[in-house]
Amino acid sequence: MSLDARDSLDELLRETLRQDATGASHSVARLEARVLETLGDRAPRRGLWGSLRALVAPTRAGRWTQLAFVGATASACLLVGFFLGDRLPRDRSPEPVALTRAAAPAVKTATAEASDQDGVLFILPAPNARVVSLVGSFSEWEPVPLTDNDGDGIWTAQIPLSPGRYEYAFIIDGRWFGQDPSADDYVKSFGEYSSVRYIGGGGGA
Amino acid sequence: MYRTQDEVSLLRASLDGQTEAWGEIVTRYKDAVFGLCLGFLRNRADAEDVTHDAFVRAYLNLRRYNLDRKFSTWVFTIAANLCRNRIRYRRNHPVMEVEFEMEGSADPARTVAREEQQVHVREALGTLPYAYRTPLVLRFYNDLSYKEIGDILAIPEGTVKTRIHRGKAMLKEMLDKERGAS
Repeated sequence: MSLDARDSLDELLRETLRQDATGASHSVARLEARVLETLGDRAPRRGLWGSLRALVAPTRAGRWTQLAFVGATASACLLVGFFLGDRLPRDRSPEPVALTRAAAPAVKTATAEASDQDGVLFILPAPNARVVSLVGSFSEWEPVPLTDNDGDGIWTAQIPLSPGRYEYAFIIDGRWFGQDPSADDYVKSFGEYSSVRYIGGGGGA
Repeated sequence: MYRTQDEVSLLRASLDGQTEAWGEIVTRYKDAVFGLCLGFLRNRADAEDVTHDAFVRAYLNLRRYNLDRKFSTWVFTIAANLCRNRIRYRRNHPVMEVEFEMEGSADPARTVAREEQQVHVREALGTLPYAYRTPLVLRFYNDLSYKEIGDILAIPEGTVKTRIHRGKAMLKEMLDKERGAS
């Protein structure tokens, strides 16, 4: 048979492919058993919507039994929520942490009058700290080191500041400490708290 | 019991967890799926594995099957996707020797010349690029329409026609070359 005719090639392809499959058909002789063995007790997967529908669909146990179960579960969740509601903290707003509260005032700023001459004195009791620095809007958030020359754990820095509003935070051994207990206010930005202090009754930074 | 049931009843029974019904579905479609895989992969062991995996996967995803679509097209699509994955796997994990096992002729009256032509077609199919071989298999082994082939391979119908036309042209060229050499 010549291959020049188009139909001939089609027929030859058809025959060849079928003969290939027939010749190797013993490979799938016990396929059913193998597939069922692999599946075992597995059932067709449910999608999310199918699972939700199955939750509310009637079963052999009856619709009322199923609804009672769903209702009881929902009621239990509500009761747990009700009792836990009063016990869990409702507000995670800046509650000054206990790092320096015991030794308060943690940061003692000089008076506005003093700031004219000596600047504002920042004091931080941190007995076990190795490196303490101060960052704030007054330094473009560049660290200003605090010193503890006598080794008593009281770290200080004198910063000349004009009256105004300043945001600041301490960095104690590389860790941010933005909740100064003696601050006038707190702000949260980029996930971190910073303290706010008004010097000389100023309202601008 | 299951042999007398229609396909939709079998699929519904399978969805209800009656795996024996799924066994009957496998019986009905295993030759078509195996032939597809064998044609795509040109390797009996790989085709056997992929056929098995295709029926397992189809059962587990049976809830996604849309009754508006032909079941054969759906299960062929799953098999074709698994074949494509296997081909990719084989690029990095080639088999030492391409295995293609033949067991005699289905037709005792076949002439020697015809058998020789089939040997050449078989060899040519093996060297044909995968993108051209797959639509030829679906067209000439599974007897599918261009649209069905396009759905299964996720390519436009026009591309299917082009690939079948070019695939046949390439086959013909290879066969003519072989004939000229002999």
